[in-house]
Order: sequence, then C-alpha cells, then structure tokens
Amino acid sequence: MKVELFGMARALAGVSQVELALDEPVTLPDFLRSLGEAVPALVPDVITAAHDAFVEPNLLLLDGRRAPTDGETFGDADHPCVLFLASGG
Amino acid sequence: MTMTSPNPGAAAGTFVGPRDLLEIDLTSRTVRRSLLGDDVFADALGGVGLAVRLIEERVRGPLDPLGPDNPIVFAAGPFASTPVPAANKHALATISPLTGLLNEGLSSSHFSAVLRRCGLAAIVITGAADAWTTIAIDGDDVRFEDASALHGLSARDATKALRESYGDRSLRVCAIGVAGERGVRYAAVENDGRQAGRGGTGAVFGAKRLKAVALRGRGEVAIADPAATAALSALLRERALGPKTAKYRVLGTSANLRVLQRMGQLPTRNFTAAQFEGAGNVTPERARESKDTYVELRAGCAGCPVQCEHLYVRKQRDRRTAAASEYESVWAFGPNCGVDDLDAVLDAIGRCDVLGLDTISTGSAIAFAMECAQHDLVPCDAFGPELRFGNGAVLLPAIDAIAERRGLGDVLADGVRAAAQRIGGGAERFAMHCKGLELPGYEPRALPTYALGLSTCTRGACHNRAATYDRDLRNPSDVRDDEARARDAIEAEDRAVAWDSLVLCKFVRDCFEDFETEAAALWSAVSGVALDADGLRAAAQRTWERKRAINARLGWTPHDDTLPERLFEESIADGPNAGRRVDPERLASLRDVYESLRRDAGVPASA
Repeated sequence: MKVELFGMARALAGVSQVELALDEPVTLPDFLRSLGEAVPALVPDVITAAHDAFVEPNLLLLDGRRAPTDGETFGDADHPCVLFLASGG
Repeated sequence: MTMTSPNPGAAAGTFVGPRDLLEIDLTSRTVRRSLLGDDVFADALGGVGLAVRLIEERVRGPLDPLGPDNPIVFAAGPFASTPVPAANKHALATISPLTGLLNEGLSSSHFSAVLRRCGLAAIVITGAADAWTTIAIDGDDVRFEDASALHGLSARDATKALRESYGDRSLRVCAIGVAGERGVRYAAVENDGRQAGRGGTGAVFGAKRLKAVALRGRGEVAIADPAATAALSALLRERALGPKTAKYRVLGTSANLRVLQRMGQLPTRNFTAAQFEGAGNVTPERARESKDTYVELRAGCAGCPVQCEHLYVRKQRDRRTAAASEYESVWAFGPNCGVDDLDAVLDAIGRCDVLGLDTISTGSAIAFAMECAQHDLVPCDAFGPELRFGNGAVLLPAIDAIAERRGLGDVLADGVRAAAQRIGGGAERFAMHCKGLELPGYEPRALPTYALGLSTCTRGACHNRAATYDRDLRNPSDVRDDEARARDAIEAEDRAVAWDSLVLCKFVRDCFEDFETEAAALWSAVSGVALDADGLRAAAQRTWERKRAINARLGWTPHDDTLPERLFEESIADGPNAGRRVDPERLASLRDVYESLRRDAGVPASA
C-alpha cells in the first residue's frame, strides 16, 4: 500500500511516499502499527510510542478528502495521506 | 494531566497586576491616567476583551475611521510579562478604514511585555496631531515628541532611530511605515518585527499623524499566586516543546501549502482554481532543500518556546533582509497571484514588511488587479511589467505603487471592495472580500463550516476569529446538519475570543487538554480573580456580543454577513473538490440557525 506523507511526517521520514506491506483491506490500527514499524522516525511526533494513534494534529485522510470512520477498512486505491491540519497565524 | 485551578470555588478577588488606563488626546496633547476597577477585569479579562469594551464605551455611532474621533486602543494581554509561555501579546483595536467596522488585531513580543511594565493595562489614543508625532511613555511619564525626522522611514528604521535618539537599545517601539503615512487602508502596525496586519490600523495611525509609540518600563509585574503560576506555566511550556507544536518549530506555517494543494483547497489565481501547479516551488521545503541558494533563519516572540518563524534569504544577501515565510503571506503572493518564483514571493513579503502593508490584503489586491487586467478593465502595463497571473516581476512595482498611492496603486490602496467600485465594468465579481476585508488562503467552497464562520466574522474575512476550517479539515466530506455546523461556528468564534482576551498564541492550542478549564486556572493564578471554565466561556460570549453591538452602531446589518459572489456562482474547477460551490440558500439557512442559537444564548451577565 502506498502512503503519501506531508508536513511533519514527510520531514521526519525524509521521503514523500512510503510503501507498506499490508494485506488489504486494512483497519486504522493495523495501518498505524505497520507505518510506525516501517518508519520509526515518525514515532513519537506523528505516531504515538504505542503505535496506536496519531499525535494530533496529524491524521490520515483518504485521497485528502475524508478520515476513515471507526472500523472502516481501506486500501491502496483510497490513496491514504498522512498530513497535519493546516492552521495559519 | 489537566491543569486545574489553584483555588477552585474561591470568590472573585481583587485583580493583581497592572491596571492603569492611559487616555491620550493627540489634538489637545493631554494625558489622563486612571485605574480600571476589578469589575472591568472580571468582565472583560484583558487583550481583545478589554480593548473591545473600551471601544464600546467610546464609539456610540457611525464615525469616519480616518477622523480624529476614532479611538486606537492598546490592551495588554493579562499574561504578558509573566512566566506564562506564548503569552507576551497585546490587542490593538480601532474602527477599520477598510471595513468601516470594528477591527481588533493582535501583536506580540517585547512591546507587549513592556506595556505592562509601565503599569498599563490599556492605552486609548484619540484626536489627531498637527505634525508627525511619537508618543514616548517612560513609566509614568508621557511625552509628545516631534517625529518629522522619522517620516518616510520603515517601522524598523524608525525604531532604530528612536533607540539611537534615546540612547536606549531596549526601547520598545510600535510604528508605521510609508503605507500607514499615505493612508493605505490595509497598512499594518509593527513592533519587534511583528505586525498587527489586518484591517488598516496603520492608516488610522497615519491619519492621526502618529508615527510611533515608544515604551520604556522597568516596573515589576505582580502575580497573585506565583507558585501556582510557575507550576502551570512549566507544564504548558513542556507541552509547547513537544510534538503538539513540532510542525511550527520544524516547518513553520507555510508547510500548509503542500497539504492544502493535495486536498484541493489552495485558492489559486484569485480563487479561480483550488490547486496550483507551481505550489511545490514556493514551499519552505523547497527553500530548505536549496541549501546552496537560501539561508534559513529562525525567530519568534519574546518568551515563546515555539519560535515558529522561519525566514529565508538568498545566501549572497544581507541576512537582515530575510523574509518570513508565513503561510498566508506566501499564499497571497504565490498561488493567489499564480507566481511560482520563490525569490519573487519572498521579495514581495519583505517589501510589504518594509513599507508596512498587510500581506494578505496586498497580495489579494494584486491578484484582483491581475484578473481585472485579464478582462481589460485595467491596463496591463499599469505597473511596468505585465500585470498578469504568474508574472512575479510585477509584484514589487505593484507593491511600491500601492504604498505610495501612485496610479492604479492608489485605487488598490483602498482595498478590493472600493477598488472594484471605482474600476466598474463588473470588477465586483473579482473582488474577494467579506465586509471589505480580503479573504485569507483557505477555500470556502470546500469548507462549509468555515464558509459560515467567514461570513459571520465581525472583522470581515478573518481566519483567526472564526477558525472553523480546523473542523472542516478534520473531515472534509463530513455531512453534519445545520444546527451542528452552526454550533461549531459559534463555539469556534467564542473560543477565539477567549484566546484573544487572555491573550495566548493560538499556535499552542493543541497543548491544552481542556482549554477552558486550564486557561481559567492560569487566569486565576496570575490575576487573583477566580474564574472557571463556564466563566471564561461567558466572558468570551460577552465580548463577542459587544463586537457585534459596536458593528451595529456603525451600520452593520445581518445582510452584510455574506460571501463574495464568485463562491456562490462558480464551482471549483479542479482537484478533489471539483464541482463544489457555496449554495446561497444553504448558507442563508445556516445563518438563520446560527442567529437563532446566538439569540437563545443571550448575553451572559458580568461576573
């Protein structure tokens, strides 16, 4: 599964995209665990040390449009993006 | 761990801290110093709450924003010059020459702290001087100094000159540049390299021939409960150094460019598109990657652990010319003008700071002119280089012409609403503003709660007074009902007032687990006046009601709470949000629900 990274996630990972070896469809907990293991630099600033949640304001949006609902599964075709909420000064 | 009040349930106490009100009349050159009562602080807290209360007491009906009756109010943040981090801030309020309505801005750093060290909670300036003047405040002493030698200088150079003249490098100065002197209706006011940018307070300074306010204060700022304040502040500081603010420390706000581009919410070429093909060329990541070309500098406000400001300058240039790459500024001259040349964008931001111009309104005015030129409503050669989207070479000549009010620049200097009326020929449809204030860099057609908040905001199109984009961005396809959206907008507006009254930097907003409870505890510890979460919400709501009451006196009606026509009539053309627009009937329905909820809530009684 390809994952696009933005903002802090991209800065910490040093790449704009990572590929996770996951059997689809995946749930958010599976996704977080896999992402944390694949890119340890994201812990703990983007993903918690327990690999069980995003550290706000980072989040996962599918195709940059919507967050997965509780229990929802998704896959590569949903274009997962890890980004943080934008806020100006 | 949640920060809690050191003395829960305690009765309202005597306010501890600077409580003087300084009233200065520039016409008569008179000064009056008085004490603000405990009831004032219990009612309004400080910052924006206090500034709005002082404006309400003085503005009883329509007035000329550039006339002598328009008051300028400085109100110190109640945590300034205390150990509370990210809180050396002050409010600056007046009636805006751009909107004709209340304008309350914020600025920060040393000036805010020294305001309180002068024993001051607030300064009110009225009248108009007959020659360029600096108001010099040294503790209890107030003087009117001739500022004719400062005329034509940038705020930064005026500050330098005043420091040399007083032989005091620690003198704190708030000043205007050429744009304020010339009455550009979106001229900024600057102190310590920070700007109260929006709404044209700099033009009000200029109309009063007030070049600068200089402060020297060495008084101690008393704190009601120093131990509790220190403990609560240490906890907040620790959080502010953690992952919750990492995006500001590591990247800065302009990292939003890539995020909003990916989400299809990056207003481009005066809101004719929502994705900008050149976005990647003007991001901070691009500047950082070009280490051989640019030097990155970091800066921040006094007493703030976040140090959010990321400045860039070409290696061969003087580092003092480095420009801050804040998101809104980069957006205004980059995507919104269709310019993907990072040098041109940084130069434009730097020039605005030198001349004392609000970057959002300046960039929006130029983008508006570019679209007018595209439709043959203004000459393409008005500023020399071709006035068209994408041409970075036209930015500096256009900015200079605006600041100096030359030619088309003079027309644009009054803001896009007035400029569209003067240009005619249907130019109104290119004027992206709410109540006269130009839109910031978020796409309202893709953010429905934000669209509501933008329309109802008492200041005009301000993203920091109705920051509902946060909620929409969490889930862009969210389909909540009207009441839920209206409640979100109201909660966001009132919370912003609470932030701005205390005054805490919004960049530490994720550092609170329960903002109202924890912020009320901080207030109680610092001021000695007991406050709980409900009391803080009530104080914020009172101030919001006051803002609207002031606007009503100035002629505002609910019909003014709307959005630019383009957002209703033209759908987003590209990207993930293609086809979306603001449905005017849906917005009207949302506003009705919003008004109904506001009426039901009433105005909470003062403490």
